Amino acid sequence: MFSLLQIEWLKIKRYRTFWVLTGIFIVFILGWNWLMSAGVLTPGGNAAKMLGMNFTFPDVWFHVGHNTKLFSGLMSILVIILTTNEYQFRTNRQNVIDGWQRTQFFHAQWSIVFVLSLLITLYTLILGLFFGLLNGSPLSAAGTNIQMVGYVFLLCMNYFGLALTLSFLLKRSGMTIVIFLCYGYIAETMITNILRFKFDTRMGDLLPMESAANLLAFHLPDMAKQMMGLQPTSASTLCIASVCWTVVYYIISRIKVLKSDW
Amino acid sequence: MSSALVIENISKSYGPIKALQGVSFSVPEGSVFGILGPNGSGKTTLLATVLDILVADAGSYSWLGGLPPHDARKKIGALLETPNFYHYMSAMDNLAITAAIRQAGSADRERVLKTVGLYERKDSKFQTYSLGMKQRLAIGAALLGNPRILVLDEPTNGLDPNGIAEIRQLVRDLSKQGITIIIASHLLDEVEKVCTHVAILKKGNRLVSGPVNEVLINEDLVEVAAGDMSALQRTLQQMPGVKTVTAADQILQLTVDAVTTQAINDHCFRNGITLSHLTVKKKSLETKFMELTNEPSKN
Repeated sequence: MFSLLQIEWLKIKRYRTFWVLTGIFIVFILGWNWLMSAGVLTPGGNAAKMLGMNFTFPDVWFHVGHNTKLFSGLMSILVIILTTNEYQFRTNRQNVIDGWQRTQFFHAQWSIVFVLSLLITLYTLILGLFFGLLNGSPLSAAGTNIQMVGYVFLLCMNYFGLALTLSFLLKRSGMTIVIFLCYGYIAETMITNILRFKFDTRMGDLLPMESAANLLAFHLPDMAKQMMGLQPTSASTLCIASVCWTVVYYIISRIKVLKSDW
Repeated sequence: MSSALVIENISKSYGPIKALQGVSFSVPEGSVFGILGPNGSGKTTLLATVLDILVADAGSYSWLGGLPPHDARKKIGALLETPNFYHYMSAMDNLAITAAIRQAGSADRERVLKTVGLYERKDSKFQTYSLGMKQRLAIGAALLGNPRILVLDEPTNGLDPNGIAEIRQLVRDLSKQGITIIIASHLLDEVEKVCTHVAILKKGNRLVSGPVNEVLINEDLVEVAAGDMSALQRTLQQMPGVKTVTAADQILQLTVDAVTTQAINDHCFRNGITLSHLTVKKKSLETKFMELTNEPSKN
């Protein structure tokens, strides 16, 4: 895998779009967290603030995790662009002609997804520690709710895995981005709400992207949840669902890449 | 002579279209092997299949005595259809990726860029290259790491006459070094000038394959004329060894079997005809190719 990553790095390091999108992602998340921690941005309005939104441990993990989720679509688009470029330039074919097995090409793309997810998780961890300490909470309290950082990894693997699978299936960047965004940010929300409010079921929480997104839902204190009558699906169920969907993406994309003409 | 590539009964369909129908032949090691055929005959499909870009419906192939395909491909330099590179990267950076995949070491990049005349533009982005330069870079990439086999699909596409001559010379030079070269082309001239062996495809069928001088035998045409063309035609149709007599623009064209021009002249003279024109003309490869590809397919 390391040699695959080395070659992928050769492809990526000269690609300006990679650096621009990565730069935007890093700066936006940092800025967004900063503005929220400073009280300039108040998603949920003053009510949320009154109910105890703050950037100290352990609540900071909910906020930085949620904020990473907000911008993960940007990095999903990057995954789509990197993968569909291979089809557009037909370099996927050339890589195989030059001696890669199809599985090596396939795993090279998944290794990008894995490493990107790992780096974003690490970045979220650093942001959480930074803002937690900045706002005066002791490091000893940092361990509580730190599983939210792990959820960031699951979310990234899920989102990027879906983006990668759609890229393998559709091969064109424009179409793949539109379908990814329409599905993830419109279709799933509609389906979830229809299931919840028309059929009184929370099965929508287990949809591909929803399963991961609900792990990093906007944080409301337990008291607020009780007041609003919310009974969210348990984190363990969501984790299992999200991992299962990622495995499904892997299997579908593997079959597509290994069995079809290029 | 051992085989660089053995193809056995490869078939490939795109929906109802049968692109390849049980194609078999082998490529001798050290040969310059031309795959000839009109557009749509299956040349590129065949090469893409043996390079694992397309998945065959049936049949098999083996490179270099049965090496695992991906290991074999590391010893093969291939240009398939179009030059495929990362548009935003320079020639050197693109070749670094090729070298890394082929485990060839990137020190060879400057040599191949000099070989294909792109050294001066080695740091320019691929997207700034002309079509001919892109084609040269693809050939350069194929040469990285001194491959044992070169697969070139329409290698002179986009090249100017000088470039075509250079590629032709390059193929000859590489062949002298013992590299097996497989060239797919519809340019007969290209094949005639450089190939030692040939396979001809038509509508996915292999019509014929073997050494060029056996497959594309250039039968000679004899052209004759006399004052009385009708008498001349009658006389020659009766001459032993004359296979066909065809009238064309005040001359007769003969295909003959072991008959010399002197024997034709003597035969006519004995029959009271004095020839005003007698010449031997090589039958063009194009004519031979058209004959082969216009025959009904074997399958």
